[in-house]
Amino acid sequence: MRQPLYIKSAVAISAQESFEREKFLQPLLTSGTGKLFAQDAPYAQYISPVAIRRMSRQMKMTISCAMEALVRAGVATPDAIITGTGRGGVTDMEHFVKDMILLNEGAMNPTAFIQSTYNSASGWIAMQAKCTGYNQTYVHRGCSFELAVQDAQMLAGESELPINLLVGCFDELTEDYYHIRQKRGYWKIPAISSESLYQHEDVAGTIAGEGASFFVLSNQPEEQQNCLRQLKIIYQANAEKITQAIMEVAIEEAIGLDAIDLILLGDNGDPRQQHLYAHLDILFPKTRMERFKHLCGEFDTATGFGTWYADWILHQKQADGKQPKNLLLINHYILGSATVMFITAPETT
Amino acid sequence: MDAIFAPYPFLRKSTMDDIKNTLKQQIIDALNLQGMKPEEIDDNAPLFGEGLGLDSIDSLELMVLLERNYGIKIEDAREGRKVLNSVQSMADYIQEHSAKNRA
Amino acid sequence: MLQTSDRIVVSSMGLISALGTGIAAHTAAFEQRKSGLRHPQHLKTLHASEFLVGEVALSDVAMMQQLGIPSTKKGYSRTSLISMCAIADMLQTTDLAWLQNLPKLGYINANTVGGMSIVENLYMEMITDRIDEETDKWIDTLDCAESTEHVARFFGLNPAMATISTACSSSANSIIVGARMLQHGLVDAVIVGGGDALSRYTLNGFSALKNVDKTPCKSFDQNRNGLNLGEGAGYLLLEKESSAKARGANILAILSGFSNHNDTYHPTAPSPDGSGALRTMAGALERAKLPAQAIHYINAHGTATLNNDHSEGLAIQNLWQGVPPPFSSTKAFTGHTLAAAGAVEAICSIAAMQANTVPPNLNWETPMEELSIRPCTQSEKVDINHVMSNSFGFGGSNVTLIFSRA
Repeated sequence: MRQPLYIKSAVAISAQESFEREKFLQPLLTSGTGKLFAQDAPYAQYISPVAIRRMSRQMKMTISCAMEALVRAGVATPDAIITGTGRGGVTDMEHFVKDMILLNEGAMNPTAFIQSTYNSASGWIAMQAKCTGYNQTYVHRGCSFELAVQDAQMLAGESELPINLLVGCFDELTEDYYHIRQKRGYWKIPAISSESLYQHEDVAGTIAGEGASFFVLSNQPEEQQNCLRQLKIIYQANAEKITQAIMEVAIEEAIGLDAIDLILLGDNGDPRQQHLYAHLDILFPKTRMERFKHLCGEFDTATGFGTWYADWILHQKQADGKQPKNLLLINHYILGSATVMFITAPETT
Repeated sequence: MDAIFAPYPFLRKSTMDDIKNTLKQQIIDALNLQGMKPEEIDDNAPLFGEGLGLDSIDSLELMVLLERNYGIKIEDAREGRKVLNSVQSMADYIQEHSAKNRA
Repeated sequence: MLQTSDRIVVSSMGLISALGTGIAAHTAAFEQRKSGLRHPQHLKTLHASEFLVGEVALSDVAMMQQLGIPSTKKGYSRTSLISMCAIADMLQTTDLAWLQNLPKLGYINANTVGGMSIVENLYMEMITDRIDEETDKWIDTLDCAESTEHVARFFGLNPAMATISTACSSSANSIIVGARMLQHGLVDAVIVGGGDALSRYTLNGFSALKNVDKTPCKSFDQNRNGLNLGEGAGYLLLEKESSAKARGANILAILSGFSNHNDTYHPTAPSPDGSGALRTMAGALERAKLPAQAIHYINAHGTATLNNDHSEGLAIQNLWQGVPPPFSSTKAFTGHTLAAAGAVEAICSIAAMQANTVPPNLNWETPMEELSIRPCTQSEKVDINHVMSNSFGFGGSNVTLIFSRA
């Protein structure tokens, strides 16, 4: 969908130090276990002591990330809250289902049940930010975050007044999750070091990740803001459909492919999915390309981290003076969907 | 109950204190009251509202605590509210219930 | 491009619940005051003799038979099967070939726990090191989208898909999202709704919240004591009025208003003064450009929990200043079908409008102390031009839909 969303703030909790933007990649954080767990943020600063004691790590991550996005945008109460998650409150779900089995449907903890509800995080954020507006939660695997962004684009198009939309995503990595998906062949076995993800492309699988990313997006441009202009969601992705989506973006934006000066690839190092990216070298022979899954790992809403990374790069002063302006984010998820996003730097920089 | 302990007031007291101390630790664990120590919870202070500042979901968790640790099932919400008023009222109920079970 | 002048219409719909498959089964049950609640037979729970549930009468095998799936085929979760049955019902009045060939079809689905009804029996096996094909093929049903994708594939559809999970308002939200996607031109027609199967997970979850009534639920009654869970699915085909007219489709209703607001009060309880529900209903009226008096029937969320009926009742009483149109909850018929409730009840509301008949609120005896208004307890004949359907979920997710006579 074509509808500009101006990025007022972007916050990510990931396996890197991303919560504090200045510390990002200083240094690169790695993992040799095949699992990239997120770096904790100072959760207690964002959640009251009474509330925080009941929360899973995922809830703490999500709420802190969302509240910090509001703070950095200078928005106390957004007009809407839209979240995407592939796994929801997976720790709480695991807790509840295992208790139910082990205790033979005996006395069960209501807290785990409540927080395993997929929209419990967006509801909580609404409560804390006093946002009585639109509230939505998408749970569609690798396009959960994308669907949240698409909804935000629709809201932006529906409003003649300036609006602030809190849009974000979250997914948590648990030992159970890793173990179960290992049976599905998701991971490289034996585990490799995360920074060498792209040096093992002969071995099937990828590395696991998690994180939360939140953005305050507005239909109203302000100075020095990057802009998420286009989003294409591709179901049952293949190289042809991805190419077509890229062409559509170029046509709708009236730019040539050579105007794209940076491409972020969601390539997860799995040779079985290389065919989704291989043709891009032909389409973009001279364009700078970067990959990001060695930073955050693979998960349903890794596009959220990718979007944060795109925003971060577009704000960075480049050493070589070649400031990228037009960025394409191309991602896919193991279960078949793919994403093309077009994000631009402000004209003035 | 009291009649049994009447000749041995010290026994009555220690049993009740034991129950309350165990219970306080169980409450701290069940509700994840991080950094709180059993002795910081007043026997008679209301658990909900002011007191510890617990809410309706905590009260459900406390019912789970009673069921899992003491085999006590509270079905009636109104009775629940009475029982869960304070550590003292919970301990009284536990003692009453275990006495009933022995009888 | 956003386009709102072309109205969004419902051109076909289908559903399944404890009352049976199809609209006729539902209207007949309403007329005969015949509840679908029973002790669970398909759901294998230790609490079977304790709880009444709105269980779909068909077993998984029976549903597979109806859908023409060989019994040897595996991998169909009950959630998917229930959804497939409702869509198959909808397709009786829809041209499947037309849907399959639409360049931009959408399928916006909703459920609360994906394939949990099967996963909960296999979870301990899944987390062992043992590789077992019979168990491991269910791994993907751990997420909510598996059912959406499975159902789309089953009918040979290749739509733009989304799965929504906002607890008890989930499928009401898929109706809203689908309608907006039409207005933005993202889709030419869209199947919206949701489906949920009963699971031990949800039954024990609601039981842990102490809000399940062991007797048939008494919505809006002073002595109500909680909800009965149910399962089911409901789907509506939405398109623009111009498209429906151009292809000569039968227009069943117009989606004239909708509203989604957050309650911002508590993770599970609604605002006690009903302000959240009121804001949502008022929002839907505003979008429909209708005065409150134009509504002729309200299908209330009416779960019969202490909190919901108090809050929703006050909101209705306040919005209509003590004189609301006939309102009822159909939960005592179907049980609370969770993610499916919004769509199932939207369909029941449209059917009520078509038949000019208000479904009765069963088991009501005693007025609530805090309310001067009462639900409609008899199947009542009234002229209905506009119906309102409420769905309020955990996490403060409030949704109101308004449908109008075509």
